[in-house]
Amino acid sequence: MATIEELIELASSDMLNPEHNFKIAREYELIGQTAAAMSFYLRTAEYGYDTHPNLVYASLIRMSYCMDDQSNREHTLKNALFQAIQYLPKRPEAYFVLSRYYEKSQKWQQCYLFAELGLMHTSRIEPLPVDVEYYGEYCLEFEKGVSAWWLGRRDESKDIFEKLLKQDIPEQYKTAINENLKKL
Amino acid sequence: MNLVQRAINAGGKLVPIVIKEGLVKGTGLTNPAIFIDDDGDILVNLRHINYSLYHAEKNMKFPSPWGPLAYLHPEKDMNLRTYNYLCRLDKNLNMTDYCLIDTSALDVPPLWEFVGLEDGRLVKWEGKYYLAGVRRDTTENGQGRMELSEIEINKDKWTAKEISRLRIPAPGTDESYCEKNWYPILDKPYHFVKWTAPTEIVRTYPELPARCEQVSLTNTFDVPADQRGGTQLVRWNNYYLSVTHEVGLWNNYLNQKNGLYRHRLCVFDENYNLIGLSPEKFSFLDACVEFCSGAAVLDDNLLLTFGFSDNAAFVLKITNTLIEEMIQEAISYGNN
Repeated sequence: MATIEELIELASSDMLNPEHNFKIAREYELIGQTAAAMSFYLRTAEYGYDTHPNLVYASLIRMSYCMDDQSNREHTLKNALFQAIQYLPKRPEAYFVLSRYYEKSQKWQQCYLFAELGLMHTSRIEPLPVDVEYYGEYCLEFEKGVSAWWLGRRDESKDIFEKLLKQDIPEQYKTAINENLKKL
Repeated sequence: MNLVQRAINAGGKLVPIVIKEGLVKGTGLTNPAIFIDDDGDILVNLRHINYSLYHAEKNMKFPSPWGPLAYLHPEKDMNLRTYNYLCRLDKNLNMTDYCLIDTSALDVPPLWEFVGLEDGRLVKWEGKYYLAGVRRDTTENGQGRMELSEIEINKDKWTAKEISRLRIPAPGTDESYCEKNWYPILDKPYHFVKWTAPTEIVRTYPELPARCEQVSLTNTFDVPADQRGGTQLVRWNNYYLSVTHEVGLWNNYLNQKNGLYRHRLCVFDENYNLIGLSPEKFSFLDACVEFCSGAAVLDDNLLLTFGFSDNAAFVLKITNTLIEEMIQEAISYGNN
């Protein structure tokens, strides 16, 4: 894997290229320099707006993770995800990240809302160039199930969780669901 | 062509200056100032900020909630804080040591929201290390004044501690609001270039009472834009060199601010007369916000340190051949 030094030297003749900026951003993020990562992700988004939709979309989501890592930048975190949705509203990933954010914030109506919106866009999506922690429809279903319980929709929640348990989903999700079902 | 590309094409190199994960919570490391010590150590003062600069460039399709250019400080802490790290690089320009400069003995509660010594250029005068930068937290209106902070460095334990702090008044009536980016003359203790064109040299003193006096004010050729201080003034054969910056600031129709920083090489003769200036302003890596705050000569090459979007820091090695070429370009421009 190329170092930041190598990537920037390579990019120096073409610093407005979104692909270069994305690679540099990723390397900075991997070493925990999230401010630098955010700068290069944002450049990816701006300079790739007309040409690299998936890179732009993924960059906006990764920016939200950078903000989350720095903590206490909630407006900007959410803003990046809103912009991702606004840019490619038919992809599910940013809806999921927002839904999960609201789950952590215990804002259950928003959590449910964005899970539901995301579930409208789960078919036939191209893979993104980077992991954004969305691995399939079950991620959104899980958020919907959790928030449904807190919104007083216990039966709906139970139904969602039971259906999820019948699917081939990661062990950590199964564990969480079983814990939740015990409390329902 | 940006300067990094030009330097690399001419045999130079670019190295990022980073402090490893976990130390600084990911916020910006920027505006490094390099200095070569008498024993050959390559030292860098690296500015760590508690915020991240958000800058949507190009068509500004993805502005922050506060506009295309915003300082993302913690939402529960309005202060924009600066901390300084003293770093040591090896001959390949990779960081080998770093430590937070301990300012605790002299810190007082800040009165304004820009907290700490900003853009401190590292110098060594009469055997003492100083950071020369601007501080804006001592008055309720953010008045900026250059300060000289003496730093005691223990190279065995790699620690650094601020042991004195002197706030420098502006020369004359000391009525200006903000004095910043005076560039220290490395081989002329306690002297700064306060203004590039016309060239104003001022002298300060390391002891109380704090004072500052104008040494010279020399007319120059016409320059295309105000040249604001950047690097220290370093000796290069029969010349002195500094990289200065010029800035364009504007607001959009929503009154949200935006800006563009570009740089030029300034060439002075041995009497500090400005004799050359890069004919074209240049960028380092094509970001809108860049700031070059350090220069040093190492093995006949020039090292420049700069910040990128306030969020990343780099050291650029420019070979002797290219610097000579840039000097000649600058002098040609000055002669015209």
